Formats: sequence, C-alpha cells, structure tokens
Amino acid sequence: MTTLTFPLSRIEGHARVVIETEGGEVLAAQFQAVELRGFRSFVQGTPAEQMPVIVPRICGVCSTAHHVASVKALENLYGIVPPPLACDIREVLLLGQLIQNQATSLFIFTMPDRVNAESLFHMDESEATRERQFTIAQRALKVRKIGTDLITLAGGQFIHPVKAHIGGMTGGIKREAADGMLADLQEALPMACELFDEYWEMSQALRDRIGTWGDDEPTYYLASTEATKPRFNSNRLRVMGPEGSERATFLPSQFETYLEFEETDYSYAGCTSYRGEVMRANSLARINLTASMGTPRADEYLQRFTHTFGKPAHPILLFDLCRGIELVYAMERAIELLNEDMDYMDTDVAYTPRDGVGFGMVEAPRGPLIHKYVVEKGLIVDAQFIIPTVHNMLAIERALRVAGRRYISPAGINLELEKAVGRVVRAFDPCIACATQ
Amino acid sequence: MEGDIKKLPQFAVLQLSGCAGCEVSLLNASEWLDKFKLVYMPLVVSTHKVPDDVEVLLISGGVRNDEDAYNLQRAVRNVGKVVAVGTCAISGGVTNLGDRDEVREVFLSNASRLHLPRLLTKTHPVDDFVEVDMYLPGCPPTPELFMAALLEPEGFKASSIVCGECGRRKLTDMRPKHLTGFQQGEVLPDICLINQGYLCVGTSTRGGCRAPCTKAGHPCVGCRGPSNAFIEKESAVWLENIKRVFERMTDIPPQEIDEALRSPQLSMFLFQFSDYAGGNRRIRSKEKVL
Repeated sequence: MTTLTFPLSRIEGHARVVIETEGGEVLAAQFQAVELRGFRSFVQGTPAEQMPVIVPRICGVCSTAHHVASVKALENLYGIVPPPLACDIREVLLLGQLIQNQATSLFIFTMPDRVNAESLFHMDESEATRERQFTIAQRALKVRKIGTDLITLAGGQFIHPVKAHIGGMTGGIKREAADGMLADLQEALPMACELFDEYWEMSQALRDRIGTWGDDEPTYYLASTEATKPRFNSNRLRVMGPEGSERATFLPSQFETYLEFEETDYSYAGCTSYRGEVMRANSLARINLTASMGTPRADEYLQRFTHTFGKPAHPILLFDLCRGIELVYAMERAIELLNEDMDYMDTDVAYTPRDGVGFGMVEAPRGPLIHKYVVEKGLIVDAQFIIPTVHNMLAIERALRVAGRRYISPAGINLELEKAVGRVVRAFDPCIACATQ
Repeated sequence: MEGDIKKLPQFAVLQLSGCAGCEVSLLNASEWLDKFKLVYMPLVVSTHKVPDDVEVLLISGGVRNDEDAYNLQRAVRNVGKVVAVGTCAISGGVTNLGDRDEVREVFLSNASRLHLPRLLTKTHPVDDFVEVDMYLPGCPPTPELFMAALLEPEGFKASSIVCGECGRRKLTDMRPKHLTGFQQGEVLPDICLINQGYLCVGTSTRGGCRAPCTKAGHPCVGCRGPSNAFIEKESAVWLENIKRVFERMTDIPPQEIDEALRSPQLSMFLFQFSDYAGGNRRIRSKEKVL
C-alpha cells in the first residue's frame, strides 16, 4: 500500500490530506485536522457574560461570526430580543465578515491555483504576468479591506470585534462614518465585479485544462439563509435534498435531531452528517437554497450561474464562483443598509442574567454556526460550538476520493493529484481553527 | 513591486497553534508588499518549509503540541531576527485558560488521538523553547504595529498606557459604587469607562494599539500586557496598581475589585495574566517589547 501525505496551505489552520492507494485503487482519503486548543474544555467555569469576548479568539478569520453567535446565544438564554437597529448593525458586521472572507478565499487562497502561482504575492518571473498579477493583488487587497473596514465600523475592531453585546450593540453608526464607508463601497464594488469576472474566466480556463469542475455527485445542502434576500442573521436552518427539494427546516435548538456528529481518530475535527448522509454547507449550499439575492448585480450573476450550471448545481469548484456572487451581494447589501439611518434609536435593551440553556446562530461565510451554552449559577458548565466546516468533512473526503480516482491509475500517480488535492480542499474553504477549536 | 523582487529582504511567518488573527491583521497592513518578500506563511503561500536566509521570522500562536515545538525549533535555525507576535506566542494567550486544574483533566482525557500530534499539558509561550529578539504583544497586534515591527521599531511612537490613546475624559465627580457587569449597561460616550464602573485595565496596559476597544465602548482587557512600568516586575505589582486606580477613582469596595481581578477565568486577563500570575513567569526586558 502507498500512503501519500499532502501538507496543505492557503487554508485557515493546520491540516493535511492522506490518501492510501493500492494497485491503482484509492483505498481511503482522509482530511486530517491536526490542531486542538480546547475551547470547549477551558471555557467551563467562565462567567457566561464574558463569552462574547473569549470566543472570537476561536478564530481570527471568523471572529465576527463567533462574537455575534455568542451574544445571540446569551440573549436566547436570558429571553431578550435586541432592538431592530441592533440587528441591522449586526447584519452590517456579518456582511463585512462575508466580504473579507469571500475576497480572501477567492483572491488569496484559490486564485493562485488558477494562475499557477504559489501565492497572490508570488509573481511569475515574466514581466507580463508579473504586472498583471500585481494589479490583481492590489485590487484584491483593496476589496478585501472593505470587509475589514465594515467590521471596524460596526464592531469597533476588525479582528475580535467588541461592539455587539448582550441586548444589542454598544452604539449606532453615525451618518458621517456611514457616508465615508459608502464612498469606499461605491468605489470598490465595480472593482470587485471586475475581479470576479476575471476570476470566472480563469476558472473556466482551469476547467477546460483539467476537464472537470470536480466531484458532482448530488448531495444534501444546509444553510440558514432564506430563499430570497439571503440574510446572515436568521434563526432557522433549511436542508435541500440531492434533487433540489426542501427536506427540512429546523431551529438551532433542534440541531441534534437533524445533524449527527461523530469523532474520528485521525482528526481533531470529527464530522457531521445529515442523518447519516453526506451534506454540504458554505456558498454553494446557500446559492442552491436561494431563489434571488435581492440586489441587482448579484442577481445578474446568480442568473448567469443558474443558466450555466442549473439548479441545484453540484460540482465542487462552483463553491468558488458562488463566493464571487456573495461578495458582490454583500457589498450591494451593505450599501443599502448604510443608506438607511443607523443611529435613530437605542441600540440595546436591559436584561437580567439567569441560568439555563441558550442557542445562538449566524450564517458564517462557511455555513450555519451555532453556539450552545449551558449556564448554572452564572457560569458556563458546557459550551458546544457547532462549526460549519465540520458539516463539510464527509463531502471533502468524498471529493478527495473522486480526485484520487481521476489521477491515480495502475500505471501510476499523475502529478496533477497534488494540485487537485489543494483545489478540492480550498473549494470548501475549511477553517481548521474553528473546526477543532 | 518596483525593482528586482529578488533583492528585497525576505520575511516569513511561522504559524503555531492560534487563531490566525495575527496573520489576518498582517494582511491588512499591505505596506510591506514592496519592501519585503514574503517567502513563507502557510495561510497565503504554498511553501511547506521556512527557507534559509530569512531576515525576519514572525512567530504567531502558542506551543500547544509536540509538532509545534518541533517546527518552532527547526524554523529559527537560520533566521536573522525572531519576533514573537500576538499574545499566544508571548504568553500562551487565551488557551492558557486551559492551564487550570479543574479543566486540565477534562481536556487531557480528550486530548490524545492515534494519528495526531501529542498535546502538551499547557500552551507554552514561544520563549520557553527558543530565544526571542523582539516581542510584539496584542490580540492581535494592529496592522500599524506589524508595520512598525517590520520596518522601523525604533521610530514607533506610542503612549506608555492605553489611557493616553483612548481620549475618554476621567471625571472626579463620577464615582461608581459597584462594578458594572462586563457586558451590561449603556456606555456613555467620551467619559472614562472606570467612571462608568467598568473593569477597564487601560490604566496599566501597554499603549500602541490606539485604543480601539475603549473608543468603541468596551473596557480594555489588557491584551497588550503590562506597560513598561510593570513589565519587568512581579505580576502582584501590576495587580496592586490596578486596585489602587479603582480605589482612587471609584467607591467600589476593594474586595469587589479584588474578587473580580482574581477570578481565575476572568477574561480581562485571559490574554496575559494567566502567564504573569503563574509565579514563575519569564521576565522580559522592556527593550525587547514593542
């Protein structure tokens, strides 16, 4: 038996892929998350009200999602509802997170695969490609920074934000600050569209070169955004079956009825299935579960996508294209929101702490993120973090087996396999810090 | 990106067990693009080994498992300058919360799997294993701090404490009688958070971050660690100073402050205090800390 180990880069966190092969057959493909910090253990005994400061540190890439999910879990536990303005500001926060994440995944993580470079910052040595890539790098970082600026605006700082608190937000967004952000957004939106157009072309060229969009077996999809106007701050999950019909809707508190979690001895992440079946979360799941984005340019891209690939679409490299649609959507939606008055009422309500169980959910860029806290005498006795990357583990490994079968034959192992492994994993944009905590 | 890219000094980022927040912050500081060549940083570059002749090696994350320890010691062999960035690399950071008897057992019972790196009993700071030339504290350090560390640490201007950068006014006639809940209550703009009863530790926390948290209405949680006045002293001196500030500025019973500060899980200090309160912490020379 031959064991191939592939170190991974251009993903968040520490992981590797191991493929076992014998006589041209793929025996196994494992996605191994190799880090663990132990948040679930060490938050035990923490005063519940401190969780919104601690849990963003689960992940510096996804800190906004954890910050808001944490606050929502405690609001659920204390039985309070934040004012509508606070919910709008949280949506701005989550849109900032989405822009930052999708721009990072598109341009920093996956675009180098399409131009055969080690990174966005590593130019080919020829002048022509160097020039082109440098302008891409500059524009890409600019678009990405729009996301971090939005988080700073609504959350105080762009990594480990602080402005969401139990009961609401610490303050509104002043008109002047909103106007400054709007100007930046207006400037960056066409830039993002242009970059996405280039990315789409590069992706098509990649498809033509390798002859596939990757694992396209129909599967289940999970998202918490609604069918029209995807909002990333909802309180309901939806499941789509492999043929495209809606199979289930449920609340975060019901997750154990629908999502089955299993530990594995080769990864600190474990994996989740939809009642034993392979499922997918993240951008492709949301786009498959969405009829319209509700903003003009994103809807144009969605129509083009649906027209080209059908609905539901299954090949994994389409996750990357869906991220582009969402990048455009998030910028357009942020413009809509910031054009409204974001400073017209109190941004929080009072609360009285109490013991019990609370569930908080947001749609993180990688899919539905749920925090479940059990609180006794004001202290956390158990905290569960239901992480979207874990929902994708079975799907990642299936896609790795598909890639393995494509590039491993009795004649030998095609060198393209190494690149394919990177493409497969990055299509799912896994976050290992979150998945293992 | 003008000129010959190969002549630029090379820098690398070694990522140990952490949240990648430091790396994300670094990505927001794009001024290094035309001054340095980034040769290794797994988050964004597909190279699987720290190359030789790296001028500056930034290390983020703490040493959580034996693979971290191995990678760390291997990486520093041929580099010019070793910089520990972020609170995890400097003190073990948030995951040092795990270094408590009541959770260590729960943690370790789940910690060993067949095919995976063996976990250590606690998250270690980087300087438990290798010599560090410079410390860049913060959770995470801001892009400005990253740029200063890379380009001109000597010329970096900052206040000694967070208060100097916060801009909120300290009032003499607003003396709270009890601590305000950590997350609770409306935050008044422009007025010192201690006057409003928040357990803010900006009075003794190292400046240089430009106070984004307190400006946003959230108490300083001390992620930059003690200011130069305390960094070379025992942690008790730092703690006493915080208590004295509250005695001077508030009517909160000293016992209430003491209990809050000593709560083992208190997130105020989760970033640094777990290390500083441990009793046998390494004294880091203030000259090495940006």
